[in-house]
Amino acid sequence: MTTVTTTPATTSRPAPEHRRRPFRVGRLVKSLLLLVLGVLMLAPLVWLISTSLIEPSEAFQLPPAWIPHPFSLQNFRDVVDLIPIARMALNSLVVTLISVGGSLLVASLAAYAFSRLPFPGREPLFVLLLAALMVPVQLTVIPIFILMRRLQLIDHLASLWLPALINVFAIFFLRQYFNTIPRDLDEAARIDGAGHFRVLFQILVPLAGPALSALTILGFEASWNNYFGPLIFLSTPENMTLPIGLVSLSAGQGGGPAAVVFAGITLVVAPVLIVFLVFQRAFVESVASVGIRG
Amino acid sequence: MSTVAPARVLEETTHRARRHRAGGRSAPLAGWLFVSPAVLLFCVFILGPFIAAMALSLFSYDLLTPAQFVGLKNFRTLLTDTTLVRALGNTFVFAFASVVTHLVGGLLLAVLVNRGLNRVLSYFVRVAVFFPFLISWAAVALLWKYVLDPSFGIVSYYLGKIGITAPGWFTDPAWALPSIIGVDFWHTIGYTFLIMLAGLQTVPAEMTEAARVDGASRLQSFVFVTLPLMTPTLFFASVITFIGAFQIFDPVQIITAGGPDNSTVTAVMYLYQTGFQAFQIGYASTIALVVFAVIMLVTILQFWGSRKWVHNA
Repeated sequence: MTTVTTTPATTSRPAPEHRRRPFRVGRLVKSLLLLVLGVLMLAPLVWLISTSLIEPSEAFQLPPAWIPHPFSLQNFRDVVDLIPIARMALNSLVVTLISVGGSLLVASLAAYAFSRLPFPGREPLFVLLLAALMVPVQLTVIPIFILMRRLQLIDHLASLWLPALINVFAIFFLRQYFNTIPRDLDEAARIDGAGHFRVLFQILVPLAGPALSALTILGFEASWNNYFGPLIFLSTPENMTLPIGLVSLSAGQGGGPAAVVFAGITLVVAPVLIVFLVFQRAFVESVASVGIRG
Repeated sequence: MSTVAPARVLEETTHRARRHRAGGRSAPLAGWLFVSPAVLLFCVFILGPFIAAMALSLFSYDLLTPAQFVGLKNFRTLLTDTTLVRALGNTFVFAFASVVTHLVGGLLLAVLVNRGLNRVLSYFVRVAVFFPFLISWAAVALLWKYVLDPSFGIVSYYLGKIGITAPGWFTDPAWALPSIIGVDFWHTIGYTFLIMLAGLQTVPAEMTEAARVDGASRLQSFVFVTLPLMTPTLFFASVITFIGAFQIFDPVQIITAGGPDNSTVTAVMYLYQTGFQAFQIGYASTIALVVFAVIMLVTILQFWGSRKWVHNA
């Protein structure tokens, strides 16, 4: 057997040659296995996009069409005719931006106090907030629903973003992160006459970039994809967010045929895919960092 | 310009610095001011509703007529509610299956992807496995309703090609819950996978390599070196997967609405039906308390049990 010893020059970990070679076959099998798995994971999405781009009369033929052959955008035109999807996307964006921005502002202020400003009752208060991490949304949603009825905010976007302004996990996570930033830095600034606001927003927040971007990505994901909240609080199509609007597209009267639903799903999935491919690293790191620290 | 002796400035600044380290005179007020928005929102949207939910469980309330105090009647109803028993049973099965499949699948995938893989392939697998997690459950549930459709879905078609007659995934009571478990795996495995990958990166390569040099096989070095060092990650993943899984609702509501024959009704699905479809607000609050109690109890049990198997937890 002729063994061509070409060690890949790019391997970052220089491993002894004698340990590498016997596993070549194993590595090939492993690579093939993972390739097949990756393809299987993506197959439903490929079928989704392909089907949504086919001439409606040809959709859902068997064998499945993996390439949109009689190409047509008719399904997408039907989506726009059936539901106010642009308005829904705008609603989703408004709710997400206010929820994420507002909750991170509130959390930064609180985390600064928990990390840097001792005050009587600070530790018990922190423990009380942490205990709230265990309270599931389903328990608080009923009283919040009654509250929103009193405030006449049912079917308003505010019913979604108001309760989202308090993010206990963000407070906890940011406080932990602030604690890792040397106090000498902000004390130096304090001595130079900076107030608490300046210390927080000009020193700590810029240094907490990784923590804030992780929280932004996770908050965006949670708010943008939220289904339970909109299902309970929103009722008219013009006020709906994308996930609930999408389901309304498939449901009974006023809903479209399957191919149109597929076009709707594609419209919801495509922007997420594009944003993900652009910020892939940040996404992966955000989950990983929360995973390790959490 | 005022001329101050340098020694005096130094003394003053160190004095001030010491005062800040000790908290500073202005700190209590500033501290309360900085936490006040969070505390206000916490009281209105978490603590208040939490207490209100407990109170509501003692009332009969349909949102239209005034609430009536009924004492512990809702709790007595719990004991004889067969649908609730069914829902809790389904939810436990779902949560257990979810924790096991995610931990095993996520760890296995992470180990395979972690090392010795072509860069392009590694990128492709990471993206393919993680991306579904970012899609909203609404889109995932609608998509899979068609993917698993018996007449034109791709899964049944290709199974038929290799001679397997696919069951009615969501219409057969025996298959509906396993199908939801499968869809959940597709959607959420990417999250567990990333957590495992991050955990594996905390295992020093020197340690596994040292074991290999000492003559351990790949499997041995995995079982005796990597796995023990991964236990904190496995523990964290099992806790959050259980908490998330026990609240499963979106795919059930969208795909099966709890059917067929209550085979997929979950605790939160039943809560939703009771509270927001039948408008039995009081009883729905009682069910919510049960969900909360179960999650808390299981989490405490997991923490308690972790002392036995988690490395330096």
